[in-house]
Amino acid sequence: MREKDYSSADDQSLVRDAQKGEMGAFEELVARHRDKIYARAFSMMRNEEEAVDLSQEAWVKGWQRLSQFQGESGFATWMTRIVINLCLDQLRKQKRHRTDSIDALDEESGGVERQLPPVVVNPTAGLERNEMRKRIDHALGQLSYEHRTVLILHEFEEMEYKQIAKTMGCSIGTVMSRLFYARRKMAVLLADLKKSGEDRIAE
Amino acid sequence: MPIPTLLIPYNKSMKYKTHLTTLLAWVVVGVFACTAQTTSRAEELKVQAQLIWGTNEKESPDAKHQPVDAEVAKKLKQLPLKWDHYFVVKKLQVDVPVNGTKKEALSEKCAIEIKDEGSGNVEISLFGKGHQVVKRKQQLPKGEVVVLGGNAPNETAWLVVLKRTN
Amino acid sequence: MGFDKQIKLQAHLDGELSEKEAREVTRWLAQDQEAVLMQAELRNTRQAIKGAEGFMPLPESREFFWSKVKREIERQEPTSPVVEKGSWMTAWRRLLIPASAIAVLAIAVLISVGPIDFNRPGSVAEIETSYGDTGAFSYRDEAAQATLVWLSYPADNEVADSDAADTVQ
Repeated sequence: MREKDYSSADDQSLVRDAQKGEMGAFEELVARHRDKIYARAFSMMRNEEEAVDLSQEAWVKGWQRLSQFQGESGFATWMTRIVINLCLDQLRKQKRHRTDSIDALDEESGGVERQLPPVVVNPTAGLERNEMRKRIDHALGQLSYEHRTVLILHEFEEMEYKQIAKTMGCSIGTVMSRLFYARRKMAVLLADLKKSGEDRIAE
Repeated sequence: MPIPTLLIPYNKSMKYKTHLTTLLAWVVVGVFACTAQTTSRAEELKVQAQLIWGTNEKESPDAKHQPVDAEVAKKLKQLPLKWDHYFVVKKLQVDVPVNGTKKEALSEKCAIEIKDEGSGNVEISLFGKGHQVVKRKQQLPKGEVVVLGGNAPNETAWLVVLKRTN
Repeated sequence: MGFDKQIKLQAHLDGELSEKEAREVTRWLAQDQEAVLMQAELRNTRQAIKGAEGFMPLPESREFFWSKVKREIERQEPTSPVVEKGSWMTAWRRLLIPASAIAVLAIAVLISVGPIDFNRPGSVAEIETSYGDTGAFSYRDEAAQATLVWLSYPADNEVADSDAADTVQ
């Protein structure tokens, strides 16, 4: 019997076939969206090995819960939510074993950045796009997981405050504080790197 | 007339006796497990609660505030707290009735409520200005310490330290 | 500018305010240069971050990654029960013979150690709920047998604004 060709099917038909138990259809979905799911896991975990493991786990869970997917969102969005929740569970487990300094706890309430005057920055001017991406990625890595997560969920996943609060298991007020702090911290970091970028361009 | 069990040929009666013995063994195990549950604890829970001020100042402006005792100082040192000195603002004992709840005021605006949930589990609620601020459920055996804390003005901290004493 | 106002600016930028609140902020922005600068900073940062998500390929080949996923799916899939021909008594007997051995062992253990003590750490999950904007989170040190629950809230909170802080200021 000839194997069915899934490569030209759209996501909707692949999901329907996979829901009937066709592994080949699910394999095609994995191939199409694995990089996106991995990228999200990596942005949260900042560790390649963990991101690969959590992506794998997300796909397994996706298969197991396929019957629950009704098509209200895109399949990739649905899978992204699964991997985000897995990452958050893992980060919470890791946090329990980590010794956090009280400075990190202070960070939660806004810290020094709350007091700073506005930073004038136009991040897209004068810097090469790839270079900017790398630097922003590096800056994201300097945030605590709570602050990085709230930025990722708001800016990349375009979630509303209420959705973020539900996903992270905290109050809307906490989401707003963390988002504000994270953005201000990023602004300070970007202002610094823009200055260093200009210096390099001038060389 | 039905044939009495004792007159059933040997092989069949032996099988039935094995099943009966096994069932009886399970019943005995079940009874033991139930009695074990009910003999866990039958005395009220005694918890020492201290309202503590954390600061980097060597002395408290209020002469009534004494430094925390060595045991509490050691526990606080092992936690990720950055202050150098801790002073007791108020210390009291909370006697929680078996499976009951007790609330005590630590200050005019701050209160602690402890609920005995049985089997060594407690539910701790902290109130500030009459509003519930946090609720926590966990085990609280003797020797275990729970510290609730937050920032206070001028880079100091307030802490509520709970320790079971019985 | 107070923290509440800063947060409101952010919420206005993110489209999270009600119409009435949004109009108030718009009026405020027309009069307050500092607020305008603050919102501009937040907007620029938001734009920079949004545009920065790059392509990140999974560092394993398609076939290798899929083989791991497939293997795990198959491992976790529940196996269908084997229906045996024979009477229900056969199935019961299979269960009861090892069960009786376990029962005898359990009785022996219980007699030797006495009633079970549930009063030991870790036998129940810890549950925490924070109210308002306190954002409580906890840290546990097993060796010290101590748990810290920190309320990440501005210094002028309901509990700090009490005798503990007042009397010593």
